[in-house]
This record gives sequence, C-alpha cells and structure tokens, in this order.
Amino acid sequence: MHLPDSVLSAPVLVGGAALAAGGVALGLRRMDIDRVPQVAVLASALFVASLVHVPVPPTSAHLVLNGLAGAVLGWSVFPAMLIALLLQAILYGHGGLAGLGVNTVTMALPGVIVWQLFRGGMVRSPSRPAVFAFGALAGGLAVAMAIGLTALALLASGREYRTVALTAVVAHLPVMAVEAVVTGFVVTFVRKVRPELLGARCGFGQPA
Amino acid sequence: MVCETYFSGNSVVHRLDPRAKLVAAVAFSAVVATSYRTPVLIAALALAIALALAAGLPAGPLWRRLAAVNAFVLLAAALLPFSTPGAPLVWVGSVPYTVEGLVLGARIAAKTNAIVLVVTALLSTVEITRLGHAMSHLRLPSKLIHLMLMTVRYVDLLHHEYHRLATAMKVRGFRPRATLHTYRSLGNLVGMLLVRSFDRSQRIVAAMKCRGFNGRFYVLDHFRFAARDAVFAVLTVLVTAGLLVGEYAWPIR
Amino acid sequence: MADPLMELSGVHFAYDGASPVLAGADFRLDAGQRVAVVGPTGSGKTTLLHLMVGLLRPTAGTIRLFGRARHEESEFAEVRGRVGLLFQDAEDQLFCPTVAEDVAFGPLNQGKKRDEAVEIVRRTLASLGLSGYEDRVTYHLSGGEKRLVSLATVLAMEPEILLLDEPTTGLDERTVGRIVAILSHLPQAMVVISHQKDFLRQVTQTTVHLRDRRLTPGETGPAAP
Repeated sequence: MHLPDSVLSAPVLVGGAALAAGGVALGLRRMDIDRVPQVAVLASALFVASLVHVPVPPTSAHLVLNGLAGAVLGWSVFPAMLIALLLQAILYGHGGLAGLGVNTVTMALPGVIVWQLFRGGMVRSPSRPAVFAFGALAGGLAVAMAIGLTALALLASGREYRTVALTAVVAHLPVMAVEAVVTGFVVTFVRKVRPELLGARCGFGQPA
Repeated sequence: MVCETYFSGNSVVHRLDPRAKLVAAVAFSAVVATSYRTPVLIAALALAIALALAAGLPAGPLWRRLAAVNAFVLLAAALLPFSTPGAPLVWVGSVPYTVEGLVLGARIAAKTNAIVLVVTALLSTVEITRLGHAMSHLRLPSKLIHLMLMTVRYVDLLHHEYHRLATAMKVRGFRPRATLHTYRSLGNLVGMLLVRSFDRSQRIVAAMKCRGFNGRFYVLDHFRFAARDAVFAVLTVLVTAGLLVGEYAWPIR
Repeated sequence: MADPLMELSGVHFAYDGASPVLAGADFRLDAGQRVAVVGPTGSGKTTLLHLMVGLLRPTAGTIRLFGRARHEESEFAEVRGRVGLLFQDAEDQLFCPTVAEDVAFGPLNQGKKRDEAVEIVRRTLASLGLSGYEDRVTYHLSGGEKRLVSLATVLAMEPEILLLDEPTTGLDERTVGRIVAILSHLPQAMVVISHQKDFLRQVTQTTVHLRDRRLTPGETGPAAP
C-alpha cells in the first residue's frame, strides 16, 4: 500500500521527505548500535510476513503489519520502513525514490503512534483477551491511519485525486478488519512465547 | 526473495560506478517526479527507454515489473477523468468524463514508467551489497546502511523459514479461508517467525561479541572512479539540468 | 605442570528460573589438547561453550582463562580474540555482505589496520583453500562453504583455543573430510561438540561426557585403538 511518486505533487514529496528524515534520524539515534542486528532481522521477518496472502472476503490481500512493526520496533520502525520501501523500489520496482519519504511516513508514523498508545496494554495486561484486544486495536488503527495519511497525501497533491483516494479508503476497510484480528493473534502469541520481544518481562498471569 | 535478475548483465551501464548510478537515480527520480510539462515528461520517458536499452535489461522480467507497476497507474488513469474538471469527452450518467483527466492520467503513466525504468536500469543492476558500500562512501549514516545490509542478508533465510512453517501447516491440512481459525493460525505463524528472528538476532549479537564487536561496523573499499564514470556524471548533470530548464525556464508553453 | 589454558571449577548454571543445566561442572584444557564433549541433545553442551567465552555467566563456580579467574564482561572481552567460538549455525556467524568483510571483522575489531586486515583475510582464506572467495556474497554460499568461511572468521583472529559447536552437522562427506584435514593441522587446543563419532575420533584425543549436569572423563579416549 504505497503511492508511486508520480501522482504526488512537489510540496507533498518534499514535506514527506522532511518528515521522514526527522523520523529516521530519531529512530537511528534511539537505536543502540548493539540493536542493529535485532532490528534488521525483525525487519526482514516483517518484510517476509507482509507478503503472506490472507483471505479477505471476497478476495485475498497482503498483510500491512505496520502496527505490529511499531509494537516490536518502536521508533526504529522509521529506518526499518525506509529500508523496506527502498528494497521494494530496487528489487521489485514498486514506487520511485522521490516518494520514499511520503510512503515511509504514511506507514511508520501510525506504527509509532499505536506503539505509544497501546504498548502499556500489550505489555502489562494480565489476561489473554486483553492482550488480544490491545494488539487488535494497534493493528487495525495503524492500517486505518496509514490509509488516512495516504488519502491525505493524494488530496493534498490535487483535488482531482479525490475519487482515487476514496476508492483506496473503501477498498482497504476489510483489510483493516482482518489486519486487526491477525495482529491481535500475533501479539498474543508473542506475549506468551517471548514477551521480551514486546519489551515485556513476563507472559500472562503475573504483573510485569 | 532478493531477486537478482538484473545485475548479471555486462553492459556499460552495469560497469558504471555504483556511487554515480545512485546519485543519478535519485536526481532523475526527484526531477521527473516534480515535473508536469508534457514535453519534459516525453523527453524523460525517451531517455529512460534509451538507458534501459543500453543496460540490456532482460525483457521478460522487465515486462512483468512494468505490468505490475502500471496496474495502479491504469486504475488511477481510469478514475481521474471523473474527478478532473474540464471539457467532457463523454458523459457517464450525469458525470462528465474529461479530456483533462485523461491527459493527467497519461502524464502520470509517463512519469511512473520513466522512473521505474531508470531505477531498474541504474539500481537493480548493482548488487545490493555494493549499493550499500556506495551509500557508505556517500556518507549516509552507518547505522542505516548496516541495517539495510543485514536486512538483505537475512531476508532470504527468513523467507525459507517462513516456507518451512507454512509447508508444515499445509501438510497438516491447513487451508486458508475467511475464518477465525485461519486468522489465528496465520497470527501464530507470523508470531513464530518473529520469535525465531528475535532469538536468531540474539545469537548473531553473541557471535559478533565473540569476535570483539565494540560498536563499530566496517566497510572495505573497492571502488574506482573510471573515465566512463566521469562521462556518465557529466551526462547526468546535463540531463537533469535540461529537464529542469524544460520544466521551469523554457519560454514557450 | 604448566598452567592450564582454561579451567572450570564447580560451575553451576541455570537459565532464569529454569532447572539447572550445570551443577558442579569441572573441566581443564591444556595447550595443544583436543577434547570432545559428548552428551544427549539438550544436555547443555552449547551452554557450556557459551559459558567458556563469557556469553553466559555461571551462577556459581569459577572460570579461569589464561591463568586468571574471569567474572566480569570486561575480563572476558579482554580474551575473546584468544578463544574462538564456532557457532552451530553458520547463518548466525556470518552477518556481513561479503566474505572478505566478514573475515576482516574480527581482526579490525582487534585494532588491525585495513591493509593488515586485508592481508589476514587473504592468508586465512588461502590456508582453508578458499582463495578467491573474498568478494563472494556470504548468503549465496553453499552450506559447506558457509561453514568453512565461519571457520575462517574465527581463525583470522588467531585464537589459542578453538571451541567448535557441531562443526560438521548437515555437511556432506567431502566437506567433512576437508574440515577434518584442516583441523588436524591446526596447533590450537580445542573443545569439540559433535554427535558424529567418526569425526570426533579423527580430530580429538580425549572425551568428556556431559551427564547429570556434570562433566565426567570418558572411560577411553576416542583416539585409543
């Protein structure tokens, strides 16, 4: 779910690049050099997982996983997302280089926001349903915000894009729902098996 | 996973210094993405096609790549005439389908294809690790570069790991449907992939520590800027300047 | 008797909250000695090697390396270059884009100059029959090549002790033969974990069993006829 740079206007491209540069710089500054391998391997895993086809009635879709990325990477989601998008541009020809900034922001910023909002819930909730609920909220909201930001970038580029923007939003509503459910399950699994991955010290049943 | 269809060639484009190619690709993308005048976009597309031909890109993969990219462009181009004000070409019910919208769609198509062709010709023809080295010589942050290099390093491995997990699910009769069971199973699959990655990253850090890692990454030099790179750099400057003049300073509209 | 290179006395270890992996393990390694550690899967052999280089710390007991007891990270960091650990999975060990960079990583961390490091890479790869592998991309190598390059990354630091964690698992006979030939000509003291009896017989002199959370000397060394 990212925009080719050719549809975006110059001010949107420049604005996006500036915001992305800020986010990436912050992400890099907050990342200990010892954490580089961890962020890289997790980013690779998320990259692979985002290619998984999930049934979304009436068809199927890729997972977006920007909410999950936020939950496990925190601020590092900015550099990780920039790299994922750069690799997609080079390896698959998705999008150009000028749009990297805008697309990094539309994907990574929601990741950071849901991480800030639901980290406590995902890490400290003592029961499985509560962890699932916070994970689902993070996953669903992150996709919703990403779509919203993408639509905004389109509208800011020109009024004539309103039909395209609206189509994109409507088309992604079912994706959002499925993403919420899947992210809920992923977060529940991770909290149970390897809570450290979410920054938690323990699984269920004990307060962290 | 890390598809390396393009860099096996031996054209003059393949042999250019990756640093020059990276700078040229960024400059071209930025200029073309922010250009709107039709003659400029036609020129950019022509240059991109010429570059792709010079690079001798393999036709099959290139067509598939262009088809995938143009799917979105076609969707946008089909919808734009409904929302672009201008002279109606036809009426669909009470909504005008405008000529201006079609022109806008055509411009977007030209831009998109020009950029994809240039990025493919210049960057997909460099081994990704060498691109990382080029970025390091261009003074991009070391953490970012090593993050990229390590992501590339492990993405294939994790893709295999994912396939092993998915195959194991399949042989036990798992078929994805729109059910809660499916979403839970896929959630567990992704969760397992993340947990294994996390554990692996800890072993990698341990192995690095055993070899005395003290917070510094190293890149070994191996680039030489040749005469053809100088020629290419000059051409890049001329082309970029030419496109900018065409967009902003050409008197006739 | 000369000081041992490495000595473990009364080492206890448990992962947080779990049942102990080691309880009172004693071990001694002298210069030039080659010891096989055998024991069932999950008995803690890898844990033992990780304790020896200080990746894990014992909950009780002492580890002496090169004549000094080591407790803190800094005391282990000091001798990391002198104890080379070959990881079970080469994918964990090789993280750099190219073979040359991966092999040079250790020497550069030891403070070697770039030119010296490049020379060490050339020499180490040549000694393992890997000349010309410098610019190969690590993740394109075959399983056997990855294992050999991992060994090169360890040997490039010129360690005095080699700790090898299942160095031949999953490799074809020819590569195993190659590794046997390489190891037999190395001067270092070694601790080798493996489930392959033939391999152990060819590269080690004595055997230690890890059972019931302790290390006990084997009744007969594998080298004995």
